[in-house]
Amino acid sequence: MLEIKNLHASIDGKEILRGINLTVNAGEVHAIMGPNGSGKSTLSNVIAGRDGYEITQGTVTYKGENLLQLKAEERAQRGVFLAFQYPVEIPGVSNIYLLKAALNAVRKYQGLDDLDAIDFLTLVRSKLELVKMDEEFLHRGVNEGFSGGEKKRNEILQMALLEPSLAILDETDSGLDIDALKTVSDGVNALRSSDRSIVMITHYQRLLDYIVPDFVHVLSEGQIVKTGGKELALELEAKGYSWVNKNA
Amino acid sequence: MPKSKRLTELATPFASVVVELEQETSFVKELRGNALAQFNSYGLPAKKEEDWKYTSLWGFSQQQFSHQAIPHTVSQAQTEQLALLKQAYRVVIVDGVFSNELSQIDNLPTGLTVSSLAEGLASVQSHLGGQINIEKAGFNALNTMLMNDGVVITVAKGINIEQPIELLVINSGATENLATHLRNVIVLEENSQVTVIEHYVGLSDIQYLTNVVTEVVLAKSAELTHYKLQQESENAFHIATLAASQAAHSQWKTNSISLGAKLARNDVHTQLLGEQAHVVMDGLYLLNNKQHSDFHTRIDHAVPNTTSEELFKGVIDDKGHGVFNGKVIVHKDAQKTDSNQQNHNLLLSRNCEIDSKPELEIYADDVKCAHGSTVGQMNEDHLFFLRTRGLDEVSARNLLTYAFAVEVLERIPAGDIRKALSAVVEQRLPQGGQ
Repeated sequence: MLEIKNLHASIDGKEILRGINLTVNAGEVHAIMGPNGSGKSTLSNVIAGRDGYEITQGTVTYKGENLLQLKAEERAQRGVFLAFQYPVEIPGVSNIYLLKAALNAVRKYQGLDDLDAIDFLTLVRSKLELVKMDEEFLHRGVNEGFSGGEKKRNEILQMALLEPSLAILDETDSGLDIDALKTVSDGVNALRSSDRSIVMITHYQRLLDYIVPDFVHVLSEGQIVKTGGKELALELEAKGYSWVNKNA
Repeated sequence: MPKSKRLTELATPFASVVVELEQETSFVKELRGNALAQFNSYGLPAKKEEDWKYTSLWGFSQQQFSHQAIPHTVSQAQTEQLALLKQAYRVVIVDGVFSNELSQIDNLPTGLTVSSLAEGLASVQSHLGGQINIEKAGFNALNTMLMNDGVVITVAKGINIEQPIELLVINSGATENLATHLRNVIVLEENSQVTVIEHYVGLSDIQYLTNVVTEVVLAKSAELTHYKLQQESENAFHIATLAASQAAHSQWKTNSISLGAKLARNDVHTQLLGEQAHVVMDGLYLLNNKQHSDFHTRIDHAVPNTTSEELFKGVIDDKGHGVFNGKVIVHKDAQKTDSNQQNHNLLLSRNCEIDSKPELEIYADDVKCAHGSTVGQMNEDHLFFLRTRGLDEVSARNLLTYAFAVEVLERIPAGDIRKALSAVVEQRLPQGGQ
């Protein structure tokens, strides 16, 4: 699904990623953990295609294609999805308009026609249920006046609708209380499947109690310094990130 | 203020043009005479005048305008297509002249009169010129000197007119450099209600001048919902004054959407003269190429307990230049005034320009006056977010531009008018909308 080899990336001349190696196979759930400033957000931005990063070395291959050559929207159309740490509020663009435009963009790439209004609404309603969102949210501006938990649920709603092959969840647990965390996690778990890979980027182990990963990687100073199973997260939580750095 | 030699000695000798309405009264003749005297002594505004600081008339002053229209060929079918609303009383003015054939104002309901300036003048003569100042106001003086047509709308006491009135002002493109000077007068008697849309359209890319003054008089508890859609040709000059006076409990909602013209200057003014009078003064300007739009607004809170809400938004691309100057004057004793003015601008290119200036003059002490002015660029985080959802960059930019502008449209009550105006605005976005 995703293969990252020796990835180096800088921003404003400062090197943030210094040789990332990561292979994610179809159906796997990976957690990337690391302290602040370790390069977690840079990695998710680089995979999603944000402008402003300079890739100085290495490759990122997605379904056999060179991902780095593609624009952000081309990646999205091919099934790469980024759930944002801080979802933006866009007054003036209704949620339902965004969902429709996004779904149609993906369908267009797949050679499919736009869904008609009724089919679209039926589909969206089924996805709303998954994240326990009220239909009223569809008609509000994107994330406009949403609580932290509602914004994160809205991200998962978009993911559920677009059915990506590769979902990057950037600090999806941040700012969530336990109830919201459970709802969001249930949504993500429902979307786990043998042909979908998920990369969770998180600072804390807490999320991994709810979405249990197959692999845990520790990112430090722009490199993956340790890889293990889900038990690695518990060990990290107990001993702190300094433990990894000393043992790296 | 000394007259500006440069701009009074114009290529077009406006002062030598003679206009007379059918059966023109001595009252009107006198107005014209006074206006001529004012125009002769002050001429057109010069850039050194504070109100014209950001809008140069140099290019304008170099033009040879004509006051003789060549016959046009605008048809009923064309007006049908151009009109914003299908369901409306329609007044059509082509190349500065009211057209009885193209207008649809037969069978008006009781209490509503809609007529050409010449025809309707007698009924509103006492209001003519009452809302505007012609001293040191070159275009108002020029308009008063040369007003040759326009529309007069009156609504009688207690009458609520459901169907809107669209004033469709067309420049056919038949006459190069045609100057038209229109005067509209809208008078609502006590407790009456109506919706009026002023709609200016140019059919060609020739240069011309539309100089229009619309005077609005709202009696006690009258409610006027007013829209102005300006879609002049890309080489037109559009100079307009829209001025109202409002008695107690009256409501004026006005929304000006400025899309066309090479140079558009809009002065929008209301005087809140009776308690509980309320105004909503909104506007939207979308500029590209080298378009210049200047909105000068003024709200006079003259008595206690009046309220005003103002929202103007601008989207400026290419080498466009936007000007917003919003004056709010709270007069002495106008306690409990509540006013809110907002002007927000989105700049889409490096070469465009905006001058935004709120001007609050407050002479009372127990008032609530808020104002805000922002100038910003497209939000890169929003753009990236939409692209990660599969929208290509052009669609994403268009969507965000529309989202910025739509706030002004959302203040229009839902219905046919909002729908029609939204469609026009969407069509005008860089790539013609979604």
